[in-house]
Amino acid sequence: MAKAFKSGIKGINGYLEPAERELLRSLFDDVVSMLEPEERANQDPLAALVGLDTEAREPSDRALRRLLPNVSKNDDAASLEFRRYTERSLRESKIGALKAASLGLDKDELVLSPADARHWSMALNDVRLVLAERLDIRDDEDAGHVHLMQDWSQAEDVESYLALVYNFTTWLQESLVQAMLQSLDTRG
Amino acid sequence: MTLSVALGPDTQESTQTGTVTWTDVLTAPDIPWNLVIWNDPVNLMSYVSYVFRSYFGYSEAKANKLMLEVHKKGRSIVAHGSKEQVEQHAVAMHGYGLWATVEKATGGGDGSGSGKGKGKRG
Repeated sequence: MAKAFKSGIKGINGYLEPAERELLRSLFDDVVSMLEPEERANQDPLAALVGLDTEAREPSDRALRRLLPNVSKNDDAASLEFRRYTERSLRESKIGALKAASLGLDKDELVLSPADARHWSMALNDVRLVLAERLDIRDDEDAGHVHLMQDWSQAEDVESYLALVYNFTTWLQESLVQAMLQSLDTRG
Repeated sequence: MTLSVALGPDTQESTQTGTVTWTDVLTAPDIPWNLVIWNDPVNLMSYVSYVFRSYFGYSEAKANKLMLEVHKKGRSIVAHGSKEQVEQHAVAMHGYGLWATVEKATGGGDGSGSGKGKGKRG
């Protein structure tokens, strides 16, 4: 069983069982593959190099849309233009955090530097956003309902399994963020 | 901060293109924009507060106040600035997984963007 993260002298310490590390690794990898930009044959290589994607458009997948949201609530044209300039680098920075977190999963004992902790918290957050879309969590009531699922012996279908995974990642992120807030306090 | 002096309400009334020009005035770079964070049922309150503290450098009290505003009212304006500044913040917030949008300040809130119009907004 995983242990809650704790803020210590050398950084933030955590402990995960091998099965939990495998689970997290596959979750991080899944979100990475969702975020990887499609390679297009007719893509302008120079534009790609500077992060410009003239063909970017609002994702049709809801989970991806939540990871890469519109920047304007009611100006679709402005959102699209902004997306063309920024989406590629946003995808890359998210992938960077997910891969960094994944790399740290080689050992049972985790010791996270402030930068590692930030990557971990972002990676866990993105995983939870994706799981929440798959679980149809639309409001606090839905979230409360999913939260009731805590017993792994109840996992009998995909949805209950996803709910358990969601609750595990929620618990893990909460314990990590508490430790991060604590080290923020001690640093002043 | 004030609106551009080029076009007051008087000029507006005397031209046919007043509305169009007014829109131009509102998109001028010196008009403040808002960064808005929206509530969602997934992001942890502790995480949102952590992001406000570590990214914006807000105090614990300010970060928690804004976080609770997001949670209770559904949205909160967490930063102001030029369009470029708030857009940069928005990308950073999206990086953290927070749901952020930018909008033109309408001047209702703290008066910093109210200008001298007669309530006409394009």
